[in-house]
Amino acid sequence: MASTEATLKDRVTRFSREADWYSRETWVGYGLVIPATLLMLLIIVYPTVRAVWMSFHQRSFLSPEESTWVGIANYEALLEDPVFTQAFVHTIIFTVGAVVAMYVLGLGLALLLRNNLPGVGYLRSLSMVPWVIPPVVIVIIWTWMFQVDYGLVNLISQQFGGPNKYWFGDYDLALPLVMMLRVWKDTPFVAIALLASMQSIPPEYYEAAKIDGAGAVQQFRHITLPNISYISMVMIVTEVIAAFNSFQMIYIATGGGPVNQTEVLGTYVYQQAFGEYMLGYAAAVGIVMLALLTLFTAVYIKVENTE
Amino acid sequence: MASENTTVRQASDDGPSKYLDTDRLFGEDTSLRKALLVYGGLFVYFLWFLVPVVWLALSTIKSGEIIQAQRLIIIPMGENFTLGHFEQVLTDPQFRQLFVNSTIIAFSTVALTLFLGILGAYSLSRFDYPGRSTLLVSFMATKMLPPALIIVPFFLMMYSYSLVDTYLGIILAHSIRALPLALWFLKGFFDDIPKALDESARIDGCSHFRVLYHIIIPLALPGIAVAGFYTFVTSWNDFLFVSVLSQGGGTRTLPYGLYMFQSQTSINWGATITAATITAVPSIVLFALVQNEIVEGLASGGMHGS
Repeated sequence: MASTEATLKDRVTRFSREADWYSRETWVGYGLVIPATLLMLLIIVYPTVRAVWMSFHQRSFLSPEESTWVGIANYEALLEDPVFTQAFVHTIIFTVGAVVAMYVLGLGLALLLRNNLPGVGYLRSLSMVPWVIPPVVIVIIWTWMFQVDYGLVNLISQQFGGPNKYWFGDYDLALPLVMMLRVWKDTPFVAIALLASMQSIPPEYYEAAKIDGAGAVQQFRHITLPNISYISMVMIVTEVIAAFNSFQMIYIATGGGPVNQTEVLGTYVYQQAFGEYMLGYAAAVGIVMLALLTLFTAVYIKVENTE
Repeated sequence: MASENTTVRQASDDGPSKYLDTDRLFGEDTSLRKALLVYGGLFVYFLWFLVPVVWLALSTIKSGEIIQAQRLIIIPMGENFTLGHFEQVLTDPQFRQLFVNSTIIAFSTVALTLFLGILGAYSLSRFDYPGRSTLLVSFMATKMLPPALIIVPFFLMMYSYSLVDTYLGIILAHSIRALPLALWFLKGFFDDIPKALDESARIDGCSHFRVLYHIIIPLALPGIAVAGFYTFVTSWNDFLFVSVLSQGGGTRTLPYGLYMFQSQTSINWGATITAATITAVPSIVLFALVQNEIVEGLASGGMHGS
């Protein structure tokens, strides 16, 4: 009798000690992640909530203490603002064009860099140079290349009897050029991510395919592409979000010009807030951007999951 | 291994003797024609990637007269060569101030982000509690917020805390931009460390901090290097937050200084491109130091998400 009681008591204490240990562990877990979470809440989540609130108000930097409730007036004004419509169209063209180009070019580069030929190992690292260069420096590099008279592009262009002009100031070429800057910067990143994913495909798959007589194109379609589809999705979503939110390089390269030809939503928000001091209106544009991105990501992930 | 190779060779049309030399050079599966195609393709890519960068770097040592000359001078020689632009930029007190600001802000951002990131990633990798995966997704979801959207309320908030024109304001902004991806990388690398290692240390009576310090951090050092590099570049390269949070000028960094240089009506190209080249060097050098881990980090980070 005494011994059973003792074991029962033992088991109860051991159980409670274990439960205690588990709950303590949980609290330690929360405790460790709380500093990062708090900072995110304070510095990202709170401003976003404030931005939603601001988008229903009229507020100016000239008197930041004053703010009047205007309901959905800012959103209504958006629909009738021709520059907003232009910026919206440019953003879509920029995003789709840049992401398609960087994915296709990145995939091509990954397929080339995948070959274990002498020297290719060094090129893998060297290809990342555009990705690490600061955006401001990228803009200086390319605007320097396109300077009238002495820019490398114009020097070469004149050799072949081509035009001599400041290409970023060209009405039709400005948008493709700022797109090119984005593609130049991010193609290596996409390529290296795809390459990493390709290198994790077991070589036996290819050997089996070869024995079955599959050619290079068939191997690419039936082995390479399906096995990199997950990383491709991650890259496309990441790059669409980044391109849609583009601000830095476009703002520095052209400031949205010539005649709004490179105005995108990112530069338009900045311009409205810090140029026109229309904080409420700028916030409304920003909220529209966020809504569109959320919609895109949700749809994309859903489609990808059902496949 | 040997038997596998024979099967592959037999499967291909080419006899092994025909390509004996290229076999030794390129490996047995690659024909000369394929090798030429690969090198040709890579040549085109690298023309596009590197010509602009090399052209910029070469222009920094061209004298004032030929830097804007209307003829093609690739490598400056003799009287065309000068180190004058470097001298001008490096002795300029304004440039030095920008460089010092950039350095202070970037290193502080790395320290803060890695501190929060390592603790957070340890929690996300080793503990199981309600809301853990939601938390991880929420961190990543903040990357979706348009920076242009949060910058306005962020500025107003910093203004009310008197953090405009302070290093701290910019460091906080940069840390927050870098933290989600840094956390993701770190968690991926921590997950690779066998749990048995730290569990046995826990049973021996080690505290969580000792486990982190003596087991996790030393083993995850390559991953920490990747997260640190990514954070450094995020901060060093940033223009948007600095442009908004440096109203006075005492906390301006190199990208903002360069923006002001290049938006003047008459640009001093010699000084501007030299300053731009110097600004790009730290990012490139740090990348060179961690390049192998970056490729692995991209691979493992991606794999863990699947």
